Amino acid sequence: MFKKISLYILMTLAALSMIIPLLWMVSTSLKNNQLVFQMPPRMIPEDPTLDSYHKLFDLFPMMRMLMNSILVSIVITGGQIATSLMAAYAFARMSFKGKDAVFLVFLATMMVPFQVTIIPLFVLMRSFGWLNSYPGLTVPLLHTAFGVFLLRQALMTIPHELEESAFMDGANHWQVFSRIIAPLTKASVATLLVLSFMASWNSFLWPLIVTRSDDMMTLPVGLSVLRGRYETKWNMVMAGGVISIIPIVVVFLFSQKHFIQGISRSGIKN
Amino acid sequence: MIVGESRTKHSLWVLFFLLPASAGLILFTVLPIVSSFILSLFSWDLLGIPEFVLLENFKRLSGDQKFWKSLVHTLSFVGGYIPAVLVTGLLTALLMNSKIKGRGAFRTAFFIPVVTSWIAVALLWTWLFNPKFGLINYILALVGINGPAWLYDPKWAMTAVIITSVWKDTGYVMMLFLAGLQDIPASLLEAASIDGASGIKRFTAVTLPLLSPTTFFILVISLINSFQVFDQVWVMTGGGPSGATSVLVEQIYKNAFRYNNMGYASAISLILFLIILIITVLQSRVQKLWVHYV
Amino acid sequence: MKKFTVVWILFLCITALLSAKGQQGKEVSSESQKTEITYFTFSAAPDHLDHLQEMISAFTQMNKDTEINVETAGWDDYFNKLQVNIAGGIAPDVFELNYENFVTYASKGTLYDMSSLAASDSSFSEDVFYPRSYNAFQYKGVQYGLPETFSTVVLYYNKDLFDAAGLDYPEESWTWDDAIAAAKKIRDPENDVWGLYTGIQFWEFYKKIAQNGGSVYDQNGNVVIDSRENVEALQTMLDIQNKHGIMPTDAELAGVSDGDLFVSGKLGMLVSGIWMFSAFGEAEFDWDIEVEPGMSTKATHFFANALAMSSKTESPEASWEWVKFFTSSDESAQMRIRTGWELPTIQNQDAVAAYLTAGSPANRQAVFNSLKYSIVPPVIEKQNELQDGIGQYLSEAKYGSMTAEEALKMCRELLEDLK
Repeated sequence: MFKKISLYILMTLAALSMIIPLLWMVSTSLKNNQLVFQMPPRMIPEDPTLDSYHKLFDLFPMMRMLMNSILVSIVITGGQIATSLMAAYAFARMSFKGKDAVFLVFLATMMVPFQVTIIPLFVLMRSFGWLNSYPGLTVPLLHTAFGVFLLRQALMTIPHELEESAFMDGANHWQVFSRIIAPLTKASVATLLVLSFMASWNSFLWPLIVTRSDDMMTLPVGLSVLRGRYETKWNMVMAGGVISIIPIVVVFLFSQKHFIQGISRSGIKN
Repeated sequence: MIVGESRTKHSLWVLFFLLPASAGLILFTVLPIVSSFILSLFSWDLLGIPEFVLLENFKRLSGDQKFWKSLVHTLSFVGGYIPAVLVTGLLTALLMNSKIKGRGAFRTAFFIPVVTSWIAVALLWTWLFNPKFGLINYILALVGINGPAWLYDPKWAMTAVIITSVWKDTGYVMMLFLAGLQDIPASLLEAASIDGASGIKRFTAVTLPLLSPTTFFILVISLINSFQVFDQVWVMTGGGPSGATSVLVEQIYKNAFRYNNMGYASAISLILFLIILIITVLQSRVQKLWVHYV
Repeated sequence: MKKFTVVWILFLCITALLSAKGQQGKEVSSESQKTEITYFTFSAAPDHLDHLQEMISAFTQMNKDTEINVETAGWDDYFNKLQVNIAGGIAPDVFELNYENFVTYASKGTLYDMSSLAASDSSFSEDVFYPRSYNAFQYKGVQYGLPETFSTVVLYYNKDLFDAAGLDYPEESWTWDDAIAAAKKIRDPENDVWGLYTGIQFWEFYKKIAQNGGSVYDQNGNVVIDSRENVEALQTMLDIQNKHGIMPTDAELAGVSDGDLFVSGKLGMLVSGIWMFSAFGEAEFDWDIEVEPGMSTKATHFFANALAMSSKTESPEASWEWVKFFTSSDESAQMRIRTGWELPTIQNQDAVAAYLTAGSPANRQAVFNSLKYSIVPPVIEKQNELQDGIGQYLSEAKYGSMTAEEALKMCRELLEDLK
């Protein structure tokens, strides 16, 4: 009993330390600019104000930027899950010549910093006529080697008996993939969903480079303007940060629901 | 291969499953990467026309103190970060996977730092590490230790960056471990407990081996990512104090965009690529010894 | 698969070559026959986005055939984006450059020759600008930019702390010895009050060596950064922090910016730019400014921005009109002064008169007095490498891992390399 209580206390403390930055972001977003950098820092603002939120909506086409971010992130996340799951099936459940080599090529693409590939990609987008457009923002990102790897690992843990009987019954690969294998990886797909969504939601360098006009900008790019040469509007930066965390947390909570479902299902199946 | 399936048909199926991911990968990732490797043989300032210089960039690299220092710093980051984040991530995942009250809330709490931007995290930890008002040195003082200046001390700055990174990424690694734990068929664990295996024994004999594909995955991914550490360094120290936290990708970024040496930046990234590639290949050779697939 | 890859690499190389030559898409919309130009800016962010819009509508009122598309980026990202756009062959028609980066862009042939535009435009006279700032944006005798704004760096001082210490306020004739003596009296360790802050970094360094009669390059372009005067000047800078203890170290500042330290009332004097006026407006004590102290001579620094045009622009005339309007028209000058958006570099005395009485600090004349002593930093093609490199060795000296002499010797090697 004592062990359990001390465990709870420990975990609560750890969890608290995890939420502090979020609370602090909220608190900073409620301060006026002059008080942002008090030392020692103040967690609770003296005169909390929603000014920075008002200003954000006055200064920027926030709705448009939010819509762009949501649209882009949904398309990218959906695309990444679909392409990764299919490729993972090939890597984990099928045999073919040069499998290891092809897989290594997938992995290798993660090993080069984006900073040096951005210009070739930009030139490519320009030749496609995709600059400052939704295809430019999304199409180059519809695949993810990370996702393929993640799901391959998950698919490899599934016992082979399951599909063998299906093949006996005359099922083809697509039927086995879509009816048997894919449903069994819900937990991993849910993880990929969160991570892909988060990555595309927060992605900065590519949308910065590929967009030009205000109406194409995603939230992080639009808000980066708040960091000026001589001065940064920290309270507004944090207000933007708070707004942009909400969708990710929603997606996370949504995926958690499926997480639990995933557990119970695989429990029943076994 | 399905019994009775023709070779061609099988190949077509493989192609069908691989194509969606591969097409985009080749066009939008592999090609730009290859182009950047080709650029490493050029001198290009981004504003004019590239000039072919063969191995000039690599020659310069071998004598570049900043490059070697940043390589050492990168290695020390990887060496400190990887073991720590694997341990904290696995421990929290195990806790979150056990039947405790409010685990959904705990999970969400641990995930919050993952979604918080590095800018906010960096500002907060800069305060925690603050030599004068910071909580960390305050606690150290309570147990009689005179804390260092952390981010302002070249000897300690990298440690501070590692601690912050581990704190932020624990939730991320936890999530990946959790997914792996969820995918372990419950029947196997049940079978073990029916056999009467105790908690710790069940963990080392059943859970850990079954989790090894996940652990392998996390190890590979973390290594690939941590060799490319940049964001936290950029916002927390900017590579300072006096260059003590300068890392490879920071050198790449600076050369590419600040110094207009695209060719040189490409050369550094080719070296970085080779280092990571070799380590990854080694890992996948060694994995056969400790990773168990069903 | 192999063939496919080869074809793509070839294709990519060709596009890269084509784009290096550059070709700007036509941006004349057929419907309205309006000329569209793109204006890329960093200085409007984050405070003056709406003022920029006002200026644009004032401009388009007079130039009904022109439409201006604004693209904005924060300071940190601006040059990344500009470079990629130029590398990708779609440079904006008009864009901002700061003085230090100007030569890099001018030397690569990316900027439009404005001398010829200016010569053929009877409505334009270079006399509207301060000659020094107009000439700053020439490269090899050709005008590649029109100066837009400047911000001088001055000495801020906390009047209350000076009064409390029974000191006279700083004067234009002060040397650093005077300032250090005053700072020692103001310094109050018990209450965490510091005397003076003047950063140990590139911008302060190149200026302070000039104050001591030194320079980075001599008149013939030889590197003389490790001269005796320069070592002496750097030593003075280091002593302020390390020997006299009147200036906080980075660790003692612990993340608080120098401006925040000043505004909290814990700092006697601060060397900083005039862009701090509005932030210091909230201070709960009296403060004013004066020309920065000198050593054997005086030298001050100002940050300057200019508007440049892409050498590939398809609409040079429309772009030129916008550049002229934005940098030198009375409308834009008045707007800048009214909104505190830096200072226009035009000589029009009426505009200046309004500035002098526009509020605190009282001694706004010091902004212009500083210009009398203004110098410009050394500028080379590899400017960022020079700045970062020197900054790196200065911080080695600041942290005590090198002496002033060693640090400047390293700087010398670096600069020889960058030649």
